[in-house]
Amino acid sequence: MSDVLQDDPGPIHRGRTGSQPRSALDADAVRAAYRRWASIYDVVFGGISAFGRKRAVTAANALPGERVLEVGVGTGLALPHYAPSKRITGIDLSEDMLARARQRVVQRQLGNIDDLAVMDAEATTFETASFDIAVAMFVASVVPNPRRLLAELKRVVKPGGHILFVNHFLATSGPRLAVERGMARASRSLGWHPDFAVDALLPPEDLVRATLLPVPPAGLFTLVTLPHGGSMQSETYRDA
Amino acid sequence: MTDPDPRLLSMLVCPVTKGPLIYDRDTQELRSPRAHLAFPVRDGIPIMLPEEARRLDE
Repeated sequence: MSDVLQDDPGPIHRGRTGSQPRSALDADAVRAAYRRWASIYDVVFGGISAFGRKRAVTAANALPGERVLEVGVGTGLALPHYAPSKRITGIDLSEDMLARARQRVVQRQLGNIDDLAVMDAEATTFETASFDIAVAMFVASVVPNPRRLLAELKRVVKPGGHILFVNHFLATSGPRLAVERGMARASRSLGWHPDFAVDALLPPEDLVRATLLPVPPAGLFTLVTLPHGGSMQSETYRDA
Repeated sequence: MTDPDPRLLSMLVCPVTKGPLIYDRDTQELRSPRAHLAFPVRDGIPIMLPEEARRLDE
């Protein structure tokens, strides 16, 4: 199963297999991976990703609007960095990770975290236009269908709002490309895709509107800021 | 944070019907009358996944 795409990614992806991750991660595999990871996640992943996380939250803090949705909030590593003026709702597929996030909110007395809920990021249960900003850190490459994630975030973010992604995107050339192609085979146990390319997430019309900013160390991660235009035709996702 | 925030509840809809949800404090569940489903709230965290929901009797 690891070598077949579970969901048909739709016509936009056909004929563009080069940008598709090589193996699909289903929700159960992701959940199982993160259940194993929950206890050591902060130590192993917290360190290398801290800079990207901080950059994304700093960017979110500087944007207008109060209501922030953090998608894939995990153990809540980013939560203490939000400005007090922002009100945060965090969702994650892993109840184990969220339990840790909740501990963090209580221990650090974070008064601006409104809620945490277990949800599927591709099919949230929020009303349309509930948020000013959506922040998805290290999420785009673990969901089964990144384009559906994008469409869902466009639905729940108000027109004029912003959608931020921080992710590791596949190197387009050089030695990192070879290493990441090799790592892709292990993605089921890693819980993420090392061979995830930016155009698997953003269609060309969004890519031209987005700001892509490499984040240290060594530009391993990229901060993507997508202004949400609102009334554009391309903002609906259609299943094939 | 033991009870979900009232503001969150006003933003949430049922994932199946997109209809309203009612919070039942006694059972710690979010009920979707139209879908006949109750979504558990564990330690103040709503679990909004259809596969985790309890089927309500008619």
